[in-house]
Order: sequence, then C-alpha cells, then structure tokens
Amino acid sequence: MAKEMIAMLLAGGQGSRLYALTEKLAKPAVPFGGKYRIIDFPISNCVNSGIDTVGVLTQYQPLVLNEYIGNGQPWDLDRLYGGIHVLPPYQKASGSDWYKGTANAIYQNISFIERYDPEYVIILSGDQICKQDYNEFLEFHKAKGAEFSVAVMEVPWDEAGRFGLMVTDENDRITEFQEKPKNPKSNLASMGIYIFNWDILKKYLEEDEADPNSENDFGNNIIPNLLRDNRKMYAHRFSGYWKDVGTISSLWEANMEVLDPENSGIDLFDDEWKVYSRNSGMNGHKIGENAVVENSMITDGCRINGSVKHSVLFAGVKVEEGAIVEDAVIMGGTTIKAGAVVKHCIIAENVIVGENAVVGAMPTEDEKGVATIGANVNVGAGAKIGPNAMVRNDVKDGEEQW
Amino acid sequence: MVNSNKKALGLIFPNSYDNWVPELVNVRLMASIPFASRYRMVDFVLSSMANSGIDNISVIVKNNYHSLMDHLGSGREWDLVRKHGGLNIFPPFMESDSRAYVGRAGALANTLDFLRSQKEKYVVMSDSNIAVNFDFNKMIDAHIASGADITVAYNEQELPANFLYHEANDRDYYYTLAINNGRVEKIFINAKDKGVQNFSMNMYVIDRELLIKLINEASLRGNEYFERDVLIPQLNKLNVQAYKYEGYLTRITGMKSYFDENMKLLDDYNVDALFEGAPIYTKIRDDNPTRYIDGAKVKNTMAADGCVIEGEVENCVLFRGVKIAKGAVVKNCILMQDTIVESGANVEYTITDKDVVITAGKELKGNDSFPVYIPKFHKV
Repeated sequence: MAKEMIAMLLAGGQGSRLYALTEKLAKPAVPFGGKYRIIDFPISNCVNSGIDTVGVLTQYQPLVLNEYIGNGQPWDLDRLYGGIHVLPPYQKASGSDWYKGTANAIYQNISFIERYDPEYVIILSGDQICKQDYNEFLEFHKAKGAEFSVAVMEVPWDEAGRFGLMVTDENDRITEFQEKPKNPKSNLASMGIYIFNWDILKKYLEEDEADPNSENDFGNNIIPNLLRDNRKMYAHRFSGYWKDVGTISSLWEANMEVLDPENSGIDLFDDEWKVYSRNSGMNGHKIGENAVVENSMITDGCRINGSVKHSVLFAGVKVEEGAIVEDAVIMGGTTIKAGAVVKHCIIAENVIVGENAVVGAMPTEDEKGVATIGANVNVGAGAKIGPNAMVRNDVKDGEEQW
Repeated sequence: MVNSNKKALGLIFPNSYDNWVPELVNVRLMASIPFASRYRMVDFVLSSMANSGIDNISVIVKNNYHSLMDHLGSGREWDLVRKHGGLNIFPPFMESDSRAYVGRAGALANTLDFLRSQKEKYVVMSDSNIAVNFDFNKMIDAHIASGADITVAYNEQELPANFLYHEANDRDYYYTLAINNGRVEKIFINAKDKGVQNFSMNMYVIDRELLIKLINEASLRGNEYFERDVLIPQLNKLNVQAYKYEGYLTRITGMKSYFDENMKLLDDYNVDALFEGAPIYTKIRDDNPTRYIDGAKVKNTMAADGCVIEGEVENCVLFRGVKIAKGAVVKNCILMQDTIVESGANVEYTITDKDVVITAGKELKGNDSFPVYIPKFHKV
C-alpha cells in the first residue's frame, strides 16, 4: 500500500557554530526547552500532521541521535509499515560515499523512499524550532497543482539579505530564487522545508547526481534547476514561531522565548500540538525551603535550593544553596554548587560548576556574549568563566577563562 | 541468563487494602492511587520486579480496575512487552454459579491453570499498597539459601495509630509475625500491640509447584485467605522464613497515612532513599516542563512536569498538570493531576483528586490530623 507522503529529515548537520555543544553531538540532538532535543520538533510535527514514515539522514556524530530515536516509540513511530528509520550513509557493492550534500543524501536513499511508493516527499531540516502543520502545507501544494513547494516566512526587509529568498507572483508562484542577495526582491525567506512530487524529485536528483560540477545541494542546485525548467513551484507562507537555532546566541534566545510563550509564540503547553520526547524517567522536581524560583521552566529530577530566575533547567539539574542562576540554559544532570553564580549562559549536560565559581555575566552595552560550557566539563571552585568563553575542557579551581 | 530472571514470575494483587482508603478507591483501586507527584502505587512494585529481571508479571485484578488498565497499557513503560511472559492482566473469571473471590487464595485459585502452564521455578507475590524500591533477587537468593518453602518479607515498625484504637481497618487483614531464628512461628491477624512489630509486607517468594498444591487444596476446601486459611494452619509443617527489609518503605494504611507519606517526600533524604537505586517507571504523559511565572512563590514543594505556577505554594506535592493561578495560596496540600486552583483561592491541608477545580477566592482548610478530600472532577 502506497503512502501519500513520507518525510525525509536532514539531520547530518555538524552545527559547527554551536562549537562546544556539538563536539560529540549532531546538531539535531542538541537539547532544547527543558526536556526536548531540537529534532523532537520536526518529528512531532510529522506525527501531529499524520505522517507515519520518516527517514532521518544522519552523518555527523550520530551515536546520541541514533540512541535517542531508537525504535521511535516516544513519537508513536514504532510502526509495522513505515515508522522512523535512521539512514546513515552505507557501503554499496561498488564503493561507498559520505553524503556529499543535502540532495545527495536523499539521492542515496531513493530505494528507501520507493519502498513506500509515495506521491509526495517532504524534506525537513533537523535544526529548527518550529511547530508546523505539514498536512496544511500539503493541502496548499495540492490546491496549487504544484510540483514543488517551499515553506517561507516573511522577514523584515532589512534582514532579508541574510536569507535564501523566494520571489513570487501574485499567485505565490515562484519566479526567482535569490540566495543571500545584496538587493532583495522579496522578503519571503525559505525555511528549508520542501514538498516535492516524488516523480519530479527523483528525476532532478538523478540529473543532479549525473552532474559532476554540482554541489548536490537543494538550495544551490535542485531549486535553480527546477526554476530553469519552469516547473510549477509555489511558496507557502508560514506565520507561526520559527527559529533556526544554529548559533549559540540564537539557541540561547530560543530557550528564553520558551519562558515567554504569550509574546514569543512558542507554546509548549499546547495540548492540540504536543511536542514529544524521550522521557528522563526521573521523579518530580523539588523546590527547597530557601529556594527562589521565578519565571523559569523546571523539569523532573531537579533539586532547587538556590535562586533561579528567568532560566530553563533540564531534567536532574541541581542548584545548591546560595547559588544564583539567571538568564541561563542548564542542560540535564548538571550541578551548580553552593555559592556559584551562573548568568546569561548555556551550560551543557553533566557539568559541575564548583563552589563560588562564576560563569557568564549579564549583558552590557558592549558585551553581550553567552558563555558556553560543553558537556561533562568540571568547572573548579572559584573559577571565573567570562561572557565570551567557550569552555571545552575542565577548568581548575580559581582559574579564569575569557 | 545474565540480565533476565527466568527463575521467577511475578504476581501482583492491586485491590488489596482498598478498604483502607475508601475515598481514594471510589473510582480506582489501591494500585492506581497517585503517589509522589508522578507515580501510581503499582509503579513501585512493578518497577522493582522489572528491575530484578522478572519479566513475566501478572496483575490479578478484582474490581474498579479500568484506571489501572489505562495506566498499565501494554506494559511498555516497564519494558514488559515480551513474546514470552510480559505483563498480563487477570480479570476475575466468573462462572454463572460463582461469586467473586475475597482473598488472595481465592484470587490465586482463578489462576491455577496459568500457574501450571508456566516454567519459572518460583513465584514472587506482592500487594501494591507499599511503595518501595525492592530488590527481589536478594529475597529470592535468601529464599534459596535458607531452603525455605515460603519466604515472607517484613519490616520492623510500629503499627499505624489508627490500627490500634478502632476497628475500621479490620475489614481487611494485616499480619504481624513472631519470628524465631529466621523462621516464622506465628502469624497474627490484625494485632493491636503497641511498640515495634514485625509487620508483614505481604511479599512472598514461593516454589511454584508448592503454591499450586497449596492453592489447589485451599480451593477444594473453599478457603479464601492465603494467610489465615493456608499459612497459619500449616506453620508447623511449612518452613516459612522471614526476610527483613531495612530500606525505605511507604505503606498506605489510611487517608492520613496517604497524606503523611506524600509529605515525607518533601525531605530530600526520603526521596533519595526511595528513588536512588533502580529507576521507578510510570506512564508517560509527555507534559512540558513545569513553568514558574513571575510572581510565583514556591517553598519546600515537590512538583511533576506540566504544572503552571503563578501563585504561592508551600509544603505541597503537585502532580502533573496542576495549575495555580496568581494570588492563590496553597499550603500543605496534595493536588493530583490537572487540579486547577483559581486566583485568590486559599487552600490548606487539602487533598484534591484528579481534575478538581477550586474556583476563585474560595477558602478551603483541613487540618494536619484530618485533611479535606475533594473527589475527582469536583468543582469547589
């Protein structure tokens, strides 16, 4: 039985601009919002949109991601026919290849897609925080009689030059594609989410593969080729919350926006559109006798005995007595020891911030850095970590890093 | 055979002691009573069995078991979806001329054919009114080492005060043990003795063939109670060994004890004692993390995921999805799943069941020795 639409999720990105956070972790596996990882958003969108077949294309540091996805049960994607499949590059009878580009990653999995004989394929990106109804997107694609559709966001004109832009006519038909142009002709930025008719996608993937000069990339090769051939291409406007969390500052900012759903539009409390994740299995969190907790998200397993303001704490974080946490993103299993001061920063999983250590600082006029500490780092007692520091290795007691 | 326990199968009796907490079991049974902010009572014994590698577990239900079936589902959360064994729910098998069983022996008589067809050498049995992180392997090892016919787990504690001064709890039997050199010499039913007792946890390890034989005989005689009718009359014949449990244990023996046992978990020492060691699993609800909004004032509180707190909370246990609005003050309360406390309400010493709403400005105060209880779905 054919599937109407299956999803291919590009999760091979290294996320090099997340530095210490992605040293041992693919970007889609980066924790987000207290109990999620970035990839929970596109996967949950699939399930909530009725898509039950998802191929996840992995390449860079896939260990955590593979284990996290497992059999797909947390997303209800453990299915007899379909379900979620991790698709790393593999060896073939005649040689093997890493995924050379986004298009090549799909090309190498044509046989996976054909097992489901889909009419449409949606290409998703594993590094965005967004709640989007892909079914609505497909309805648009069908109503337009499109061969290719791309989800776009309206962005402010003065920022448009940072994006890949879709120039459209009055019927939303795409007439031109501009990649980070100096003189934008449109303010419709591509979200990197595409719906293709499968026969069209397959044809262009094969053509692209045959071209030795191609970068095998959707944005640089496939879309320009579709335009060249005057294919029926449409832009679907999306107006909800969308954030590319590819940098430390945007990742920090998106976490802070979770604390303000009324204004930011990222509502994780939406029963109609739940975001699913693999559960920590820890017991309820505890707020101690002398703790202060304001405007924060606290997850199962946390123990709060210090002061926590405007912060996101993941499962099992411990904040000891006298510690101060403000504007911080603190990932699972990390301990902030007594008297430590942790501000305006991202601290990855299983870190120990020693007694009276200082990490980060509230932003000032000319200093807005988000201090970042990688996973499993031990920050010694009394150490000082400056607001622009990127800490990958243990910091000795009293040592300073800026 | 490294990781799984092919030696023993598990039997759980989820209805035991329902009569002790009549309010809480109005719409459920002992096993599905919410406990410790995100669990149900059965999670503890079920997880303990699963963590001990026991992966053939039957839950022998009697009545009010819909909530339990909903909670257990296929058993996946406890890793009990298996080709062989796994989680198995036994509803009562009623013949046209029979009545429902009343005791453990009667319940077991219903499962004789099942027990005969199993392969495990031992059976471990437990009620679900005790929350404990229990290592069944240790108890099975002790059972084998002592050469006992039957081993029963107990702890040393005083009987709950409400057991001593009135007869209300006599509707269900509880047991204390006289032990001599490890062997159980006497089992007392509903004793009223003061001071520390050997209080049976009603957890048993028994050879499966022996259990079948004993239950078969009991069934022929029409006996209902395992302890009263099977064990006590044969204590001189059967080698019943006592296994002392010295770890942390929560035993629900009444409404007051339900309240106190939850409140005890506000002490980190007790939480660590109950949860450190093997993990306790429960049904996943996919709630978001708990959100504390500006203006929230929270002290000495345990809360599960999915809560939204804007008001003042002190000395409380909050289950998943509780909402406390701005200006509300909640102290010394247990609020079960999805309770809503509206703005300006003032609530103390209260247990709200699931989906209760305390409307704006209402004042609701119980007492340390007698907390108010609001039943499921009620609006105050």
